[in-house]
Amino acid sequence: MSLSDRDNSLSQTANGRPFAAAGLAVAASLAMFAPAMAQQQGVQGQSVGTTAGVEAADDPLEGFNRGSFKLGMGLDHVILAPIAHGYMAVTPRVVRNRVSAAVYNLGEPNTVMNMVLQGKPKQAMRSTTRFVVNSTVGVLGLFDVASSMNLPRRDSDFGQTFGKWGAKPGAYLYVPLMGPLNVRDGVGRALDIVTDPVSIYVGGFSTDFGKARTGVTIVDVRSKADPAYHALKDAADPYVTTRSAYTQYREAFIREATGAAEVLPDFDAPPPEAPPPQGTPQDASPAAPKP
Amino acid sequence: MTGKTMTNTTSTRRGANVALLAFFGAAAIAAPAMAQNSARDAGAEAFVQTKAQRVITVLANKGMSDAQKTQVFHQAVDELADVPRITNFVLGKYARTITPEQRARFTPVFRTYVESVYQSRIDDYRGEQLKVVGSVVNKPGDVTVKTVISGGQITQPLPVSWRVLGGGQTWKVVDVQFKGIWLAITQQQDFVSTIDNAGGNIDVLINQLQKGGSAPSGRRK
Repeated sequence: MSLSDRDNSLSQTANGRPFAAAGLAVAASLAMFAPAMAQQQGVQGQSVGTTAGVEAADDPLEGFNRGSFKLGMGLDHVILAPIAHGYMAVTPRVVRNRVSAAVYNLGEPNTVMNMVLQGKPKQAMRSTTRFVVNSTVGVLGLFDVASSMNLPRRDSDFGQTFGKWGAKPGAYLYVPLMGPLNVRDGVGRALDIVTDPVSIYVGGFSTDFGKARTGVTIVDVRSKADPAYHALKDAADPYVTTRSAYTQYREAFIREATGAAEVLPDFDAPPPEAPPPQGTPQDASPAAPKP
Repeated sequence: MTGKTMTNTTSTRRGANVALLAFFGAAAIAAPAMAQNSARDAGAEAFVQTKAQRVITVLANKGMSDAQKTQVFHQAVDELADVPRITNFVLGKYARTITPEQRARFTPVFRTYVESVYQSRIDDYRGEQLKVVGSVVNKPGDVTVKTVISGGQITQPLPVSWRVLGGGQTWKVVDVQFKGIWLAITQQQDFVSTIDNAGGNIDVLINQLQKGGSAPSGRRK
């Protein structure tokens, strides 16, 4: 799952030229009209501020999303999880690591494109070098030779680019088999797919290469995300845990691009009371013993 | 603009890409970069380097049984983490309304739960070496120590941050961040939502944690 992995490729199946124009148009609209061209709240020069509590989630479609989440987890249980577990059972970790490296390598050109869009030519050059070195010396990306040449991985995607430009995440969405999203990252992911240089220049989903790449990517992403699925079983409310983890993960990813300070909640001051959906804690909990 | 060099105009779609790169690239360059903060706290960094490395070492020890690791982790939690503070934090707004009787029930249940969860998350990666790479003073006595875990089964260095509270030589961890995700913050949202959906009844959460989260057999081996 995409709680912790760069998972844009789960949805590589959306091969569509018609989507390209629509995606670009939506992206352009988002970039130009998002209220947030106005930069983030982080205070320059002050590392971290504190607030009274954790920010409330922007989830106006929670009822719908909870249904989607339930459906998505059910589909994962019967489709993706068995495939991923079978793959993990028959494939040694060292082989899975090579597959992951090759899948990651094919995403490198997309990273380069977004580094350019973010105004980071040096990083774009580093990622370009990584792609060239790993695709050749690294045998089609199976080996991450570049990391040992002081060229470490550096991820990027359109969602991050929009964040860098100041776009806010927008409403949270859960899409079965694609996982958690928000408006900004959903549009970003669509653009990641339709502008992916490897799909354009080597072959998209209509080709055998594209189909194989999509299949391998889905299995790789799902198997790498297996610990996150296990972690969800520890949660009292897996839906909210997924939403919280995804939101934090993406915001941290965008802070990597912006350099903005992280705002943490004050650890010792509980947030002010807000009435829960069905009443205040005092009057809505007849089963709770009073002091 | 750098982006223009990446493509040619042999097709309409490629042309669209070039235009996209040029337009958005120009917009990106215009955006000012945010400054990084450089304040550090050597005492907090030393605490994390020593105590967290010990936990990592124990969990990566192939010679110890799972039961032994759990036992050592249980002991290490007291010197590493401020469990009472975490217990209060994860209740969010309900920390103000929980009754003494409920708190007495919640505290040991959460202690067992949080040990299992933290051990599982750290154990997921089975790294061997922890290296402090910096820290950020959030406010006096509240520091985020940034580390990188490597070795063992980790193929790419894993950034892990530790939020520590205290001062001088006395610090305690109150939260741990993997891949941008703070465990205690996530738990607070999880718990508060669970209580909200139970009409404010904290007992529902306590009972659920006693059963082991959303899945009765949810604990991983």
